[in-house]
Amino acid sequence: MSTTTSTTPALTKAGPAAASPYKVSFGHLLRAEWIKLWTVRSTVWTLSIMVVVMVGLVAAVSALGAANMGPGEGGGGGEGPAFGYAAFVPAVNMASLAVVVLGVLTITGEYTTGMIRSSAAAAPRRTPVLWSKIVVLFSTILAASVVAVALGYLVEVLILGGKDLAIDLSDGQALRVLGGCALYLATIAIFAFALGALMRHSAAALATVLGLLLVIETVMSAIPWKPLQYISPFLPATAGSKITQPDELNDMMNSMSEVGANLSAWQGYGVLVAWVVVLVALAAFLMKRRDV
Amino acid sequence: MIEAQGLTKRYGSKTAVDGISFTVHPGKVTGFLGPNGAGKSTTMRMIMGLDRPTHGSVTVNGRPYAQHRSPLTEVGALLEAKAVHTGRSARNHLRALAATHGIGESRVAEVIAMTGLDAVAKRRVGGFSLGMGQRLGIAAALLGDPRTLILDEPVNGLDPEGVLWVRNLVKYLASEGRTVFLSSHLMSEMALTADHLVVIGRGRIIADAPVDEVVARATRATVRVRSPQATELAGLLASPEVTVTAVSPGLLEVHGATSEAVGEVAAAGRLVLHELTPVSGSLEEAYMSLTSDAVEYHSAEVPHADTTTSQEQAR
Repeated sequence: MSTTTSTTPALTKAGPAAASPYKVSFGHLLRAEWIKLWTVRSTVWTLSIMVVVMVGLVAAVSALGAANMGPGEGGGGGEGPAFGYAAFVPAVNMASLAVVVLGVLTITGEYTTGMIRSSAAAAPRRTPVLWSKIVVLFSTILAASVVAVALGYLVEVLILGGKDLAIDLSDGQALRVLGGCALYLATIAIFAFALGALMRHSAAALATVLGLLLVIETVMSAIPWKPLQYISPFLPATAGSKITQPDELNDMMNSMSEVGANLSAWQGYGVLVAWVVVLVALAAFLMKRRDV
Repeated sequence: MIEAQGLTKRYGSKTAVDGISFTVHPGKVTGFLGPNGAGKSTTMRMIMGLDRPTHGSVTVNGRPYAQHRSPLTEVGALLEAKAVHTGRSARNHLRALAATHGIGESRVAEVIAMTGLDAVAKRRVGGFSLGMGQRLGIAAALLGDPRTLILDEPVNGLDPEGVLWVRNLVKYLASEGRTVFLSSHLMSEMALTADHLVVIGRGRIIADAPVDEVVARATRATVRVRSPQATELAGLLASPEVTVTAVSPGLLEVHGATSEAVGEVAAAGRLVLHELTPVSGSLEEAYMSLTSDAVEYHSAEVPHADTTTSQEQAR
C-alpha cells in the first residue's frame, strides 16, 4: 500500500486570517450526526433486529391466537379487538431492547473510542451535539418503528383478519395504540441515550438500562409489597408502555393494584417523558462541565 | 497565536499543570518539550477547551477556543491519534467532522490525498496501524485549513517518509504565517523542526526561548583534546574558569575555554596535539540538563557501554 504524501498544494488556497465561510450551526450538526449514525454498523443491525422482532412476535402471537380461538372469541369481555392489541405488547417489549441498545451506543460509542474529543473539538459548546444527536436518533427510530408497526399490523391482519380478531383501525383507540408503540420505542431509546450520556461507558450503561427494563421493572411490579406498588407504576418503561396498550388493558392493570396510581395511556407516557427530560438535562449540565 | 495566562490544572490533589504562562507566535514552529507526565497533553487539551483549567485562561487567536464561530478553521488539532470511532471508515470520520462546519466533500478528498490515506480511506479505523491513525489525525487537523495547528506527538508511529513529510509540512505551514505548536519527546526531531521551544517539567515552564538559545544556555561548550602529553597540558590549562577532565589517558575534556585558546596554550607550551575538537551542546543534552530535576518517572540506571567517544551531536 502506498503511503506517499504529496506536498501541500491543497493548503495554499486560503492563507491565514481570511474570514471563514464555514461555521458550526445546528443544521450542520444535524447533518454530521446523521452521517455518524449511519456510518457505524450497530445502527443498521439494531434497527433491523427491532423490525424483525416486532413483526416476528406479532406474527407468532397472532398465529397462536388463530390456532386456539374461534372467531370473535378473543375479546376482553366480549369486545372483539382486544386480542389484536395483545399481540403488540410482547413485540414492543422485545423490540425496545434493540432500540435502547442503539440509544446507548450512539453516545457511549463516542466516549469509549475517544471520538467524543473530536466531536467536542469540532463543536466546543458541546450541548448542541447532544441536542442534534437526540433529534436525529429520535426521528430515525420513530420512522423505523412506524415501519415496523405497520408491517406488524399487516401481518396481523393477514393471520387474524379472517377470524375478526385483528385490530380494527376504525376503533377509536387503534391509531393511539399503534402510533403509541412507535412513539414509545423512540422515547425509551432517548431515555437509554440519556443514561449513556451520564455514564459515558458502553458496558455500564447497557447493563443499567437492560437491567432496569428486563429485571428491575418486572420484579418490582410482581412483588406485592405495598411501598413498591407506589413506585412501580412510575418507572420509565412501566409508565411509558401504557401508551402501547388499549384502555381496557390499562384499566385492568390499574384495578389490580390496591394503591391507586391509575395512570392513563397519555399520563403514563408523560411520566416517561418526564424521566427523559430530567436525565437529558442532567446529562447536558454534566457534559458542559466535565472534561472529555 | 496561543496565549496562556497562569494556566493550572489539578486532578484531585495532583497538580498536572502549575500556573504556566506562555505565548506561541505565528510564523514559526514552536516545540513543546517535556518528560512524560510533565503536563504537555493536559496543556494542549486545555487550549482546545476539552479540559477545564482549575485556574487561569488560555486563548487561541484572541479568544477562548469555545467562543469561535468556526473552531475548525481557527485551530486544527491532533491530540490523540485515535480520537476516532473505531467502527467508522476514515473517510466517513472526516465527512462527519467536515459536516459540523459545512465543509464540502471535496475538502475531505483533498486532505485524504494530502495525508496519503487514499488506499485505506474506506477501511474501518479500528484496523489502522499507529502510523495510519496519525495520518488520519493530521488529516482531521488540516480539514478546516486552520490558522493555528496544535499537534501532540505528530510523528509518533510514522515511518521515515511520514516523519519527513510532517517536518516539511509544519515548516511550510509556519512559513505561511500560521501558528504551529508541536509536542514531541524526540529531541532530535525537535532540533530539526522547531524554531522556538517551550520546555515544561512537573507542570512548570523551564525554558521558553529560541532553540539555539535553549541549547546554549543549558549546555557548556566542551573541547575535546587528545594529546600524548595530556597531563602537562591539563596543568597549563588549569585556571578558575576552566575545568579539565581526564576522560581516559591521553584524552581531556575542557570546559570553559574555546578550542582556539586550548590550541594556543598547547602551542605556547610546545605540546603535541592529536585531536582538538569543539563539541557543541546538543538539544538532547540541553533537555536532559534542564529537566533532570523535573522528571517524574525516573528509569532505573542501566549499566552502559563505554561512551567516552560517543559525544556525538544531535544536530
